[in-house]
This record gives sequence, C-alpha cells and structure tokens, in this order.
Amino acid sequence: MAALEAYASRNADEVHTDVLLKARQACYKSRDAFYDCLEKESNKKPTEIASVGLLYPAECKALRAQFVNHCRASWVKHFDRLYCKNKRVTRLLDDGGETRR
Amino acid sequence: MPISRFLFFSSKHRFRQPLNLIRRFDLSKRTQSCSYTKSSRQSHRNPADYFLSPQETKASRSWSTYVIPAGGLLGLAGIATFVHYNDERRAVRKGQGENSGPNRVTGPIIGGPFTLIDTENRLVTEKNFLGNWILLYFGYTSSPDVGPEQVQMMAKAIDILDSKKNLKILPIFVTIDPQRDTPAHLRAYLKEFNSRIVGLTGPVGAIRQMAQEYRVFFKKVEEEGDDYLVESSHNMYLMNPSLEVVRCFGVEYTAEELAEEISKEMKKAST
Repeated sequence: MAALEAYASRNADEVHTDVLLKARQACYKSRDAFYDCLEKESNKKPTEIASVGLLYPAECKALRAQFVNHCRASWVKHFDRLYCKNKRVTRLLDDGGETRR
Repeated sequence: MPISRFLFFSSKHRFRQPLNLIRRFDLSKRTQSCSYTKSSRQSHRNPADYFLSPQETKASRSWSTYVIPAGGLLGLAGIATFVHYNDERRAVRKGQGENSGPNRVTGPIIGGPFTLIDTENRLVTEKNFLGNWILLYFGYTSSPDVGPEQVQMMAKAIDILDSKKNLKILPIFVTIDPQRDTPAHLRAYLKEFNSRIVGLTGPVGAIRQMAQEYRVFFKKVEEEGDDYLVESSHNMYLMNPSLEVVRCFGVEYTAEELAEEISKEMKKAST
C-alpha cells in the first residue's frame, strides 16, 4: 500500500511524447525512407556504419541522420536488427542455398 | 667292420644331432611342462585349499555379484521415486473444468488478484472489474512496432464488437514497464487508440506479481541507461465476468478474427 502511494506521488505527470502517435508515425516514415534509400543504392559500396553491424553507402547519410533524429536509439537498433534479419532471409531464399553463408 | 661301426657311430652321431635338437626343444617344453606340473604340484600340495578356495571365492563371488547390481538397481529406483515425488510436489495442478480443445487454458490456473493504479491515479483491484468480460494485454508504451500494433488491434476489435455485435467488453492494458509508463503518460498513449482502454500501472513489485500470476514473461533488453526495450510474451487474455482466464490470443490474430473469437466465447458462456 505504501509503495503504491509512493509510486502515485512520484513522476505523476511526465509524458514521454516521443512514443506517442505523431512521433511514432514520423519515426516510421523516416525509417522507411532510409531503408528505401538502402535498397536503391544497394549496388554502391557500403562505407558508413549504422549500428549492430549494418553498413550503408554514403549517399544515404542524410536520411540516416533524420532517422536517428526522429526515433529513439533503442528503436533504431531494433529496426536495424530487423532489417538485417530480413535481408539475410531473402538472400537465403534467393540463392536457394547455393552460396555457403 | 670298423667302417660299419664308424658309419654306425657317425650315423648315430648324425642322428643324435637332430635328436639333440629335438631333445633340446623337448626339454624346453618339458621345462615348461615342468613348471606347469610344478605349479599344479604346488596346488596339489594343498588339495583342500585348492578345492576350497575357488569354491569359497565362487561362493563369495556369487553373493557379491548379486548384491552389487541389485544395490545399484535399488539406488536407481530410489532416486527415480524421489524425483517423481519431488515433481508431484512441485507441479501445479491442472485447472479442472469443461475447458478442453485448442487454445483453451488447460494448464495451471492463470490469473489472480492484483492491486494496481489506473490512469487517474486511483487504486484498483481486480474486484473493480468483476462482472465484465475483459480483454487483458500486457505491454509497454515504448515498444517500437509490436506494442502499438497489438493495442491498435485490440481497439479495432473492441469497436467491431461494440458496433456489429453489440457486445460490451472491457479492454485493459497493463504496462510491464512501470518505471517509464506513468499514469499520465499511459492516459495520453491509450487515448490515441481508444478512450475505453483502461491503463494500469504501479510499483514494479505489484506488476511483477501480477505478471507471475498471469504467466507473462518480460525482461529488459538493450539497456542503455534510460533507454531500453522490454522483451515480453505477447499474449492477450480473455477473461469472463468472474475473472477466470478463458482464452489467450497471440500476435497472429487480426482484429476481425479476434472479434469473431471473442463473440463466440461470449455466446457460448451465455447459453
């Protein structure tokens, strides 16, 4: 009971606006823009480091900055990891197991 | 005559050589056999001992050869019964009742009392919700994609049930991230989906206890100071008016399917 009341009194009014609807939608948009850029420039050599092992070519640098700006750091990492996983799966499916990866 | 004798001698000599050889071999064999005979003679020297000791060893051997494996088997059986007894003691009894079929909660009884704070900073317990059908979801507001999708699906299903089937069901969102999801924040978050969704939060201990009662797994991952994600088992629980968990839904359900299944459950219960 005391713990509950203590909790209620603490931090009662803080609202994290960066996970509300508008912020989420802005984040999704910039994320999609960045990944589309990656797809378009996939023939260029990836030189920049994104995060969790993802590399991207220098042409998408501005979009990357926007992406990181609009979304939380943990979300950026989460999306990057998801993207790498999808890339790996599509690569496996396309190759049909020919290349030993 | 002497030649013949000489011949004879020589022949004998000649014959003796191989004979000698044979004898030498024979001697060696005989020495071996001699040693055998010697040992046998030694053992024969104490015939009583000779005859008793193998019998004795045989007797004691027969006894010990039966005791040791039997003891091992008994020990294994003892360990097995102990483990079984321990499992029985620790196991949670299966919930009884007419619940059977796919997606039924036929396992340990999920659910229990809880005491949390809602978005208006009021203290609520499970007794406040008695008499309503409840759709319970454990999530957190800082979820990048799955959380918002699930809450959106919940909101849509509620709308479908409200408008098309005219069934009232109360959606409850319990946050598994109470440190960052304050009541005010929850209210702002849930308002965007559906104003009817009740948000519940509270101190970490109360949340953890409720999650344990409802068998929800959650864990902080990717922690970087204040910024972290929470990994959790995404499950939506459907509870009947007496607050028993009737069914659970995973992420694979769409809003329409969810509404369909919920209406089925509610109709079945009311008949």
